[in-house]
Amino acid sequence: MASVRTQKEIRQRAPLWLISLLIINLVVMAVDARDADGGQKVVRIWTQTFASPLQNASSRATGATSGFFQQIWNFRTTAQENEQLKQRLNTLESELNNARQAEAENDRLKGLLGLKEQSAVQSVPARVIARDPSVWFNTITINRGSTSGIAVNMPVVTGGGIVGRVITVSPFAAQVMLITDEKAGAGAVVGQLGQSGALGSVRGRADLGVGIVEMRYVSGLEKVEVNDTVMTTGQDGIYPPGLNVGRVVDVKNGTATQAHQILIQPGAQLDHLEEVAVLLYRPPPRTAPQETLPNVEKSGK
Amino acid sequence: MPPLKIAAILIISLALQLSLREVWRPLVYIDFPLVIIVYIALQREAWQALVVATLAGLIVDAQSGGLIGAGGFSKTLTAYIIYFAATKVNLENPLLRIPVLAAATVLDSLVYVFWHRLMNYPPSAPLVQTISYKLIATTVVGTLLLYLIDSIVAERSSQRRQFATRRRVARRSTGSLRRR
Repeated sequence: MASVRTQKEIRQRAPLWLISLLIINLVVMAVDARDADGGQKVVRIWTQTFASPLQNASSRATGATSGFFQQIWNFRTTAQENEQLKQRLNTLESELNNARQAEAENDRLKGLLGLKEQSAVQSVPARVIARDPSVWFNTITINRGSTSGIAVNMPVVTGGGIVGRVITVSPFAAQVMLITDEKAGAGAVVGQLGQSGALGSVRGRADLGVGIVEMRYVSGLEKVEVNDTVMTTGQDGIYPPGLNVGRVVDVKNGTATQAHQILIQPGAQLDHLEEVAVLLYRPPPRTAPQETLPNVEKSGK
Repeated sequence: MPPLKIAAILIISLALQLSLREVWRPLVYIDFPLVIIVYIALQREAWQALVVATLAGLIVDAQSGGLIGAGGFSKTLTAYIIYFAATKVNLENPLLRIPVLAAATVLDSLVYVFWHRLMNYPPSAPLVQTISYKLIATTVVGTLLLYLIDSIVAERSSQRRQFATRRRVARRSTGSLRRR
Protein backbone atom coordinates (compact mmCIF):
# COMPACT_ATOMS: atom_id res chain seq x y z
CA MET A 1 0.00 0.00 0.00
CA ALA A 2 2.87 2.29 0.95
CA SER A 3 4.54 1.80 -2.43
CA VAL A 4 1.25 2.62 -4.24
CA ARG A 5 0.96 5.86 -2.29
CA THR A 6 4.53 6.78 -3.14
CA GLN A 7 3.93 6.18 -6.83
CA LYS A 8 0.80 8.30 -6.62
CA GLU A 9 2.73 11.06 -4.88
CA ILE A 10 5.45 10.92 -7.47
CA ARG A 11 2.89 11.13 -10.25
CA GLN A 12 1.25 14.11 -8.59
CA ARG A 13 4.49 15.93 -7.90
CA ALA A 14 6.18 15.25 -11.25
CA PRO A 15 4.50 18.22 -13.03
CA LEU A 16 5.69 20.53 -10.24
CA TRP A 17 9.26 19.27 -10.56
CA LEU A 18 9.01 19.65 -14.31
CA ILE A 19 7.81 23.24 -14.10
CA SER A 20 10.45 24.25 -11.55
CA LEU A 21 13.28 22.66 -13.59
CA LEU A 22 12.00 24.26 -16.79
CA ILE A 23 11.93 27.65 -15.07
CA ILE A 24 15.53 27.18 -13.89
CA ASN A 25 16.57 26.36 -17.45
CA LEU A 26 14.68 29.35 -18.81
CA VAL A 27 16.34 31.72 -16.35
CA VAL A 28 19.81 30.39 -17.22
CA MET A 29 18.97 30.69 -20.92
CA ALA A 30 17.75 34.26 -20.53
CA VAL A 31 20.92 35.28 -18.64
CA ASP A 32 23.10 33.62 -21.26
CA ALA A 33 21.18 35.17 -24.15
CA ARG A 34 21.50 38.61 -22.55
CA ASP A 35 25.27 38.13 -22.14
CA ALA A 36 25.66 36.79 -25.68
CA ASP A 37 25.92 40.22 -27.29
CA GLY A 38 27.70 41.89 -24.41
CA GLY A 39 30.93 39.92 -24.69
CA GLN A 40 31.75 37.62 -21.78
CA LYS A 41 29.26 34.94 -20.77
CA VAL A 42 29.40 34.62 -17.00
CA VAL A 43 27.85 31.14 -16.71
CA ARG A 44 30.12 29.74 -19.40
CA ILE A 45 33.30 31.12 -17.84
CA TRP A 46 32.61 29.22 -14.63
CA THR A 47 31.76 25.95 -16.32
CA GLN A 48 34.77 26.27 -18.61
CA THR A 49 37.09 26.90 -15.68
CA PHE A 50 36.02 23.65 -14.04
CA ALA A 51 35.79 21.65 -17.25
CA SER A 52 39.11 22.63 -18.86
CA PRO A 53 41.36 20.24 -16.82
CA LEU A 54 39.02 17.34 -17.66
CA GLN A 55 38.91 18.37 -21.31
CA ASN A 56 42.72 18.52 -21.40
CA ALA A 57 42.95 14.97 -20.09
CA SER A 58 40.18 13.72 -22.37
CA SER A 59 41.76 15.42 -25.39
CA ARG A 60 45.07 13.68 -24.72
CA ALA A 61 43.33 10.32 -24.34
CA THR A 62 41.24 10.63 -27.51
CA GLY A 63 44.24 12.05 -29.37
CA ALA A 64 46.29 8.99 -28.45
CA THR A 65 43.49 6.60 -29.44
CA SER A 66 42.75 8.22 -32.79
CA GLY A 67 46.49 8.60 -33.41
CA PHE A 68 46.95 4.87 -32.97
CA PHE A 69 44.24 4.03 -35.51
CA GLN A 70 45.49 6.74 -37.83
CA GLN A 71 48.98 5.19 -37.80
CA ILE A 72 47.60 1.79 -38.76
CA TRP A 73 45.66 3.40 -41.60
CA ASN A 74 48.70 5.37 -42.73
CA PHE A 75 50.80 2.24 -43.33
CA ARG A 76 48.62 1.45 -46.32
CA THR A 77 49.44 4.61 -48.21
CA THR A 78 53.04 5.22 -47.11
CA ALA A 79 54.87 4.08 -50.25
CA GLN A 80 52.67 6.09 -52.60
CA GLU A 81 52.87 9.11 -50.35
CA ASN A 82 56.67 8.83 -50.22
CA GLU A 83 56.91 9.11 -54.01
CA GLN A 84 54.58 12.09 -54.06
CA LEU A 85 56.55 13.80 -51.31
CA LYS A 86 59.84 13.36 -53.18
CA GLN A 87 58.36 15.01 -56.25
CA ARG A 88 56.90 17.77 -54.13
CA LEU A 89 60.25 18.34 -52.39
CA ASN A 90 61.92 18.99 -55.73
CA THR A 91 59.25 21.51 -56.68
CA LEU A 92 59.42 23.21 -53.30
CA GLU A 93 63.21 23.52 -53.44
CA SER A 94 63.01 25.48 -56.66
CA GLU A 95 60.16 27.58 -55.24
CA LEU A 96 62.23 28.26 -52.10
CA ASN A 97 65.09 29.58 -54.19
CA ASN A 98 62.70 31.91 -56.00
CA ALA A 99 61.22 33.04 -52.69
CA ARG A 100 64.69 33.80 -51.26
CA GLN A 101 65.49 35.92 -54.27
CA ALA A 102 62.18 37.75 -53.94
CA GLU A 103 62.75 38.33 -50.22
CA ALA A 104 66.20 39.75 -50.83
CA GLU A 105 64.79 42.02 -53.52
CA ASN A 106 61.97 43.04 -51.19
CA ASP A 107 64.46 43.97 -48.45
CA ARG A 108 66.48 46.05 -50.86
CA LEU A 109 63.41 47.90 -52.09
CA LYS A 110 62.16 48.50 -48.56
CA GLY A 111 65.51 49.89 -47.64
CA LEU A 112 65.33 52.18 -50.61
CA LEU A 113 61.89 53.41 -49.63
CA GLY A 114 62.96 53.90 -46.02
CA LEU A 115 60.14 51.74 -44.66
CA LYS A 116 60.48 50.22 -41.26
CA GLU A 117 59.62 46.57 -40.82
CA GLN A 118 56.28 46.51 -39.06
CA SER A 119 56.36 44.55 -35.85
CA ALA A 120 54.34 41.38 -36.38
CA VAL A 121 51.32 40.82 -34.19
CA GLN A 122 52.22 38.75 -31.12
CA SER A 123 50.61 35.37 -30.94
CA VAL A 124 49.96 32.66 -28.37
CA PRO A 125 50.11 29.06 -29.58
CA ALA A 126 47.28 26.88 -28.26
CA ARG A 127 46.05 23.32 -28.53
CA VAL A 128 42.47 22.39 -29.35
CA ILE A 129 41.18 20.44 -26.34
CA ALA A 130 37.52 20.08 -27.26
CA ARG A 131 35.03 20.51 -30.05
CA ASP A 132 31.40 21.44 -29.79
CA PRO A 133 29.54 18.44 -28.34
CA SER A 134 26.30 19.45 -30.04
CA VAL A 135 25.71 19.16 -33.77
CA TRP A 136 24.19 22.59 -34.04
CA PHE A 137 27.21 24.84 -33.51
CA ASN A 138 30.82 25.07 -34.64
CA THR A 139 33.02 26.02 -31.74
CA ILE A 140 36.29 24.71 -30.39
CA THR A 141 37.89 25.03 -26.97
CA ILE A 142 41.59 25.81 -26.67
CA ASN A 143 43.92 25.31 -23.72
CA ARG A 144 44.91 28.97 -23.31
CA GLY A 145 42.90 31.60 -21.47
CA SER A 146 43.09 35.00 -19.85
CA THR A 147 46.26 34.05 -17.94
CA SER A 148 48.02 33.85 -21.33
CA GLY A 149 46.73 37.28 -22.33
CA ILE A 150 43.80 36.10 -24.42
CA ALA A 151 40.69 38.28 -24.53
CA VAL A 152 37.29 38.15 -26.19
CA ASN A 153 37.20 38.87 -29.96
CA MET A 154 40.87 38.09 -30.53
CA PRO A 155 41.47 36.37 -33.89
CA VAL A 156 42.55 32.73 -34.04
CA VAL A 157 44.59 31.50 -36.99
CA THR A 158 46.61 28.60 -38.35
CA GLY A 159 49.30 28.52 -41.02
CA GLY A 160 46.54 28.01 -43.60
CA GLY A 161 44.44 31.01 -42.68
CA ILE A 162 41.95 32.40 -40.20
CA VAL A 163 40.03 30.01 -37.95
CA GLY A 164 37.65 32.25 -36.03
CA ARG A 165 37.44 34.53 -33.03
CA VAL A 166 37.50 34.05 -29.28
CA ILE A 167 34.00 34.30 -27.77
CA THR A 168 34.54 33.25 -24.15
CA VAL A 169 37.65 33.34 -22.00
CA SER A 170 38.21 31.63 -18.67
CA PRO A 171 41.58 31.65 -16.86
CA PHE A 172 42.92 28.50 -18.53
CA ALA A 173 40.73 27.94 -21.59
CA ALA A 174 38.92 29.86 -24.29
CA GLN A 175 36.08 29.09 -26.64
CA VAL A 176 36.49 29.97 -30.30
CA MET A 177 33.69 30.49 -32.79
CA LEU A 178 34.74 29.17 -36.20
CA ILE A 179 34.29 31.33 -39.29
CA THR A 180 31.84 28.73 -40.60
CA ASP A 181 29.35 29.69 -37.88
CA GLU A 182 26.36 31.75 -39.03
CA LYS A 183 27.05 34.37 -36.40
CA ALA A 184 30.72 34.69 -37.37
CA GLY A 185 31.90 37.19 -39.97
CA ALA A 186 35.02 38.76 -41.40
CA GLY A 187 35.68 41.67 -43.73
CA ALA A 188 37.49 40.31 -46.77
CA VAL A 189 38.67 41.08 -50.27
CA VAL A 190 39.06 38.82 -53.29
CA GLY A 191 42.64 39.19 -54.49
CA GLN A 192 45.36 41.28 -52.96
CA LEU A 193 44.55 43.97 -50.44
CA GLY A 194 45.02 47.39 -51.97
CA GLN A 195 44.91 46.06 -55.53
CA SER A 196 41.36 44.69 -55.71
CA GLY A 197 38.04 46.40 -55.14
CA ALA A 198 36.14 43.15 -54.61
CA LEU A 199 35.35 43.88 -50.98
CA GLY A 200 32.76 41.92 -49.04
CA SER A 201 31.93 40.03 -45.91
CA VAL A 202 32.70 36.36 -45.25
CA ARG A 203 30.31 34.36 -43.08
CA GLY A 204 29.09 30.82 -42.51
CA ARG A 205 25.80 29.50 -43.79
CA ALA A 206 23.88 26.65 -42.18
CA ASP A 207 23.24 24.74 -45.40
CA LEU A 208 26.85 24.85 -46.60
CA GLY A 209 28.37 22.68 -43.86
CA VAL A 210 31.71 23.02 -42.14
CA GLY A 211 34.00 23.14 -45.15
CA ILE A 212 32.59 26.14 -47.04
CA VAL A 213 31.78 29.78 -46.25
CA GLU A 214 29.96 32.42 -48.21
CA MET A 215 31.21 35.84 -49.29
CA ARG A 216 28.53 38.50 -49.57
CA TYR A 217 28.18 42.03 -50.90
CA VAL A 218 30.95 41.82 -53.53
CA SER A 219 29.97 44.17 -56.34
CA GLY A 220 28.87 42.40 -59.50
CA LEU A 221 31.13 44.74 -61.48
CA GLU A 222 34.30 43.33 -59.92
CA LYS A 223 36.07 40.47 -61.63
CA VAL A 224 36.08 37.32 -59.49
CA GLU A 225 37.24 33.91 -60.64
CA VAL A 226 37.46 30.43 -59.17
CA ASN A 227 40.74 29.82 -57.29
CA ASP A 228 41.23 33.51 -56.48
CA THR A 229 42.59 34.00 -52.98
CA VAL A 230 40.58 35.85 -50.34
CA MET A 231 42.29 38.00 -47.69
CA THR A 232 41.08 39.89 -44.62
CA THR A 233 40.75 43.65 -44.90
CA GLY A 234 40.87 44.53 -41.19
CA GLN A 235 37.65 46.53 -41.50
CA ASP A 236 35.70 44.20 -39.21
CA GLY A 237 37.61 45.30 -36.13
CA ILE A 238 38.61 41.72 -35.29
CA TYR A 239 41.09 40.34 -37.83
CA PRO A 240 44.21 42.25 -38.85
CA PRO A 241 44.45 43.00 -42.58
CA GLY A 242 46.25 40.68 -44.97
CA LEU A 243 45.45 37.29 -43.39
CA ASN A 244 44.49 34.45 -45.70
CA VAL A 245 40.82 33.45 -45.54
CA GLY A 246 40.77 30.84 -48.29
CA ARG A 247 40.17 30.50 -52.00
CA VAL A 248 37.12 30.92 -54.19
CA VAL A 249 35.55 27.59 -55.18
CA ASP A 250 32.36 28.81 -56.83
CA VAL A 251 31.12 32.10 -58.28
CA LYS A 252 27.71 32.99 -59.60
CA ASN A 253 28.40 36.22 -61.39
CA GLY A 254 26.34 39.23 -60.41
CA THR A 255 25.36 42.28 -62.41
CA ALA A 256 25.68 46.03 -61.95
CA THR A 257 22.82 45.92 -59.47
CA GLN A 258 23.36 42.48 -58.02
CA ALA A 259 26.26 41.20 -55.95
CA HIS A 260 28.30 38.10 -56.82
CA GLN A 261 27.42 34.88 -55.03
CA ILE A 262 30.79 33.56 -53.92
CA LEU A 263 31.62 30.37 -52.05
CA ILE A 264 34.99 30.07 -50.35
CA GLN A 265 36.91 27.10 -49.05
CA PRO A 266 38.68 28.23 -45.87
CA GLY A 267 42.47 27.97 -45.97
CA ALA A 268 42.57 26.51 -42.47
CA GLN A 269 41.63 22.84 -42.14
CA LEU A 270 38.70 23.52 -39.82
CA ASP A 271 37.75 19.85 -39.54
CA HIS A 272 41.17 18.73 -38.36
CA LEU A 273 42.35 21.52 -36.11
CA GLU A 274 44.90 20.51 -33.52
CA GLU A 275 47.19 23.49 -33.03
CA VAL A 276 46.16 27.11 -33.51
CA ALA A 277 47.58 30.53 -32.68
CA VAL A 278 45.66 33.33 -30.99
CA LEU A 279 46.77 36.72 -32.26
CA LEU A 280 47.03 39.24 -29.42
CA TYR A 281 45.66 41.84 -31.78
CA ARG A 282 43.76 44.91 -30.76
CA PRO A 283 42.22 46.76 -33.67
CA PRO A 284 43.00 50.46 -33.91
CA PRO A 285 40.33 52.54 -32.14
CA ARG A 286 37.71 53.95 -34.45
CA THR A 287 36.80 57.58 -34.28
CA ALA A 288 33.16 58.07 -33.38
CA PRO A 289 31.16 59.61 -36.22
CA GLN A 290 30.10 63.19 -35.64
CA GLU A 291 26.39 63.07 -34.99
CA THR A 292 25.65 66.78 -35.10
CA LEU A 293 25.48 68.73 -38.30
CA PRO A 294 28.35 71.17 -38.80
CA ASN A 295 26.04 74.19 -39.13
CA VAL A 296 24.11 73.46 -35.91
CA GLU A 297 25.28 75.25 -32.78
CA LYS A 298 25.83 72.99 -29.79
CA SER A 299 23.63 73.71 -26.76
CA GLY A 300 25.30 75.51 -23.87
CA LYS A 301 27.56 77.57 -26.08
CA MET B 1 17.79 2.42 -10.13
CA PRO B 2 20.37 3.43 -7.47
CA PRO B 3 21.65 7.02 -7.75
CA LEU B 4 25.27 5.89 -7.92
CA LYS B 5 24.61 3.79 -10.99
CA ILE B 6 22.74 6.65 -12.61
CA ALA B 7 25.63 9.00 -11.87
CA ALA B 8 28.15 6.55 -13.33
CA ILE B 9 26.13 6.01 -16.51
CA LEU B 10 25.55 9.75 -16.86
CA ILE B 11 29.25 10.55 -16.50
CA ILE B 12 30.18 7.93 -19.10
CA SER B 13 27.56 9.22 -21.54
CA LEU B 14 28.72 12.82 -21.07
CA ALA B 15 32.36 11.85 -21.52
CA LEU B 16 31.47 10.07 -24.76
CA GLN B 17 29.42 13.04 -25.96
CA LEU B 18 32.21 15.52 -25.22
CA SER B 19 35.08 13.53 -26.69
CA LEU B 20 33.88 11.35 -29.57
CA ARG B 21 33.62 14.24 -32.04
CA GLU B 22 37.40 14.52 -31.94
CA VAL B 23 37.78 10.89 -32.98
CA TRP B 24 35.32 11.00 -35.88
CA ARG B 25 32.99 13.89 -36.65
CA PRO B 26 29.81 11.90 -37.56
CA LEU B 27 29.80 10.40 -34.05
CA VAL B 28 28.51 13.73 -32.79
CA TYR B 29 25.09 12.83 -34.21
CA ILE B 30 24.64 10.23 -31.47
CA ASP B 31 23.05 11.86 -28.45
CA PHE B 32 24.34 9.64 -25.63
CA PRO B 33 22.86 11.64 -22.71
CA LEU B 34 19.43 11.53 -24.40
CA VAL B 35 19.59 7.73 -24.60
CA ILE B 36 20.27 7.57 -20.85
CA ILE B 37 17.44 10.01 -20.14
CA VAL B 38 15.03 7.92 -22.23
CA TYR B 39 16.13 4.81 -20.34
CA ILE B 40 15.52 6.34 -16.91
CA ALA B 41 12.20 7.88 -17.98
CA LEU B 42 11.04 4.50 -19.30
CA GLN B 43 11.73 3.05 -15.83
CA ARG B 44 9.08 5.53 -14.58
CA GLU B 45 11.62 7.26 -12.32
CA ALA B 46 10.22 10.77 -12.69
CA TRP B 47 12.47 12.68 -10.31
CA GLN B 48 15.65 10.94 -11.45
CA ALA B 49 14.78 11.35 -15.14
CA LEU B 50 14.03 15.06 -14.78
CA VAL B 51 17.15 15.85 -12.73
CA VAL B 52 19.42 13.81 -15.00
CA ALA B 53 17.89 15.50 -18.06
CA THR B 54 18.47 18.99 -16.67
CA LEU B 55 22.01 18.22 -15.54
CA ALA B 56 23.03 16.51 -18.77
CA GLY B 57 21.49 19.26 -20.88
CA LEU B 58 23.20 22.03 -18.94
CA ILE B 59 26.61 20.34 -19.01
CA VAL B 60 26.48 19.78 -22.78
CA ASP B 61 25.19 23.34 -23.29
CA ALA B 62 28.07 24.76 -21.27
CA GLN B 63 30.60 23.13 -23.59
CA SER B 64 28.70 24.03 -26.73
CA GLY B 65 28.44 27.28 -28.65
CA GLY B 66 24.68 27.46 -28.13
CA LEU B 67 22.64 28.99 -25.34
CA ILE B 68 23.13 27.47 -21.92
CA GLY B 69 19.76 26.16 -20.76
CA ALA B 70 18.28 25.36 -24.17
CA GLY B 71 19.50 21.77 -24.07
CA GLY B 72 18.52 21.49 -20.40
CA PHE B 73 15.01 22.69 -21.25
CA SER B 74 14.53 20.40 -24.24
CA LYS B 75 15.87 17.32 -22.47
CA THR B 76 13.82 17.94 -19.30
CA LEU B 77 10.65 18.33 -21.34
CA THR B 78 11.44 15.21 -23.37
CA ALA B 79 12.12 13.23 -20.20
CA TYR B 80 8.78 14.24 -18.71
CA ILE B 81 6.81 13.41 -21.85
CA ILE B 82 8.40 9.95 -22.04
CA TYR B 83 7.80 9.39 -18.32
CA PHE B 84 4.17 10.45 -18.75
CA ALA B 85 3.71 8.12 -21.73
CA ALA B 86 5.37 5.27 -19.82
CA THR B 87 2.91 5.67 -16.95
CA LYS B 88 -0.04 5.46 -19.34
CA VAL B 89 1.19 2.83 -21.80
CA ASN B 90 3.43 -0.14 -21.19
CA LEU B 91 6.66 0.67 -23.04
CA GLU B 92 8.81 -2.06 -21.49
CA ASN B 93 8.91 -3.97 -24.78
CA PRO B 94 12.35 -3.49 -26.41
CA LEU B 95 10.75 -3.03 -29.83
CA LEU B 96 8.60 -0.16 -28.58
CA ARG B 97 11.72 1.65 -27.44
CA ILE B 98 12.76 2.27 -31.05
CA PRO B 99 9.89 4.69 -31.87
CA VAL B 100 10.24 6.20 -28.38
CA LEU B 101 13.92 6.93 -28.97
CA ALA B 102 13.17 8.35 -32.43
CA ALA B 103 10.38 10.57 -31.09
CA ALA B 104 12.58 11.73 -28.21
CA THR B 105 15.38 12.71 -30.62
CA VAL B 106 13.06 14.70 -32.86
CA LEU B 107 11.28 16.40 -29.97
CA ASP B 108 14.55 17.29 -28.20
CA SER B 109 16.06 18.74 -31.40
CA LEU B 110 12.95 20.73 -32.31
CA VAL B 111 12.61 22.29 -28.86
CA TYR B 112 16.35 23.08 -28.81
CA VAL B 113 16.24 24.79 -32.19
CA PHE B 114 12.98 26.56 -31.33
CA TRP B 115 14.56 28.28 -28.30
CA HIS B 116 17.63 29.29 -30.26
CA ARG B 117 15.53 30.79 -33.05
CA LEU B 118 13.34 32.55 -30.51
CA MET B 119 16.37 34.06 -28.78
CA ASN B 120 17.80 35.18 -32.13
CA TYR B 121 20.65 32.71 -31.90
CA PRO B 122 20.20 30.52 -35.01
CA PRO B 123 22.12 27.23 -35.08
CA SER B 124 24.74 26.90 -37.81
CA ALA B 125 23.57 23.51 -39.07
CA PRO B 126 20.75 22.79 -41.53
CA LEU B 127 17.64 21.78 -39.57
CA VAL B 128 16.11 18.90 -41.56
CA GLN B 129 19.42 17.30 -42.52
CA THR B 130 20.81 17.48 -38.99
CA ILE B 131 17.65 16.13 -37.37
CA SER B 132 17.56 13.28 -39.90
CA TYR B 133 21.16 12.25 -39.22
CA LYS B 134 20.63 12.62 -35.49
CA LEU B 135 17.45 10.57 -35.65
CA ILE B 136 19.14 7.70 -37.47
CA ALA B 137 22.33 7.71 -35.37
CA THR B 138 20.68 8.11 -31.97
CA THR B 139 17.91 5.57 -32.67
CA VAL B 140 20.25 2.88 -34.00
CA VAL B 141 22.99 3.30 -31.41
CA GLY B 142 20.49 4.08 -28.65
CA THR B 143 18.52 0.85 -29.24
CA LEU B 144 21.71 -1.17 -28.94
CA LEU B 145 22.82 0.82 -25.89
CA LEU B 146 19.49 0.37 -24.13
CA TYR B 147 19.68 -3.36 -24.76
CA LEU B 148 23.23 -3.37 -23.35
CA ILE B 149 22.27 -1.34 -20.27
CA ASP B 150 19.26 -3.59 -19.73
CA SER B 151 21.36 -6.72 -19.82
CA ILE B 152 24.10 -5.34 -17.56
CA VAL B 153 22.58 -2.83 -15.17
CA ALA B 154 18.96 -3.85 -14.90
CA GLU B 155 19.51 -7.55 -14.32
CA ARG B 156 19.39 -7.29 -10.56
CA SER B 157 16.49 -4.87 -10.46
CA SER B 158 14.40 -7.10 -12.73
CA GLN B 159 15.22 -10.03 -10.45
CA ARG B 160 14.14 -7.94 -7.48
CA ARG B 161 10.89 -7.03 -9.26
CA GLN B 162 10.22 -10.69 -10.05
CA PHE B 163 10.81 -11.67 -6.42
CA ALA B 164 8.52 -8.89 -5.25
CA THR B 165 5.76 -10.10 -7.55
CA ARG B 166 6.20 -13.66 -6.34
CA ARG B 167 6.11 -12.50 -2.72
CA ARG B 168 2.92 -10.53 -3.37
CA VAL B 169 1.28 -13.54 -5.06
CA ALA B 170 2.37 -15.76 -2.18
CA ARG B 171 0.99 -13.31 0.40
CA ARG B 172 -2.31 -13.10 -1.45
CA SER B 173 -2.65 -16.86 -1.63
CA THR B 174 -1.79 -17.36 2.07
CA GLY B 175 -4.27 -14.62 3.00
CA SER B 176 -7.05 -16.28 1.06
CA LEU B 177 -6.19 -19.61 2.71
CA ARG B 178 -6.42 -17.99 6.18
CA ARG B 179 -9.83 -16.50 5.35
CA ARG B 180 -11.06 -19.90 4.35
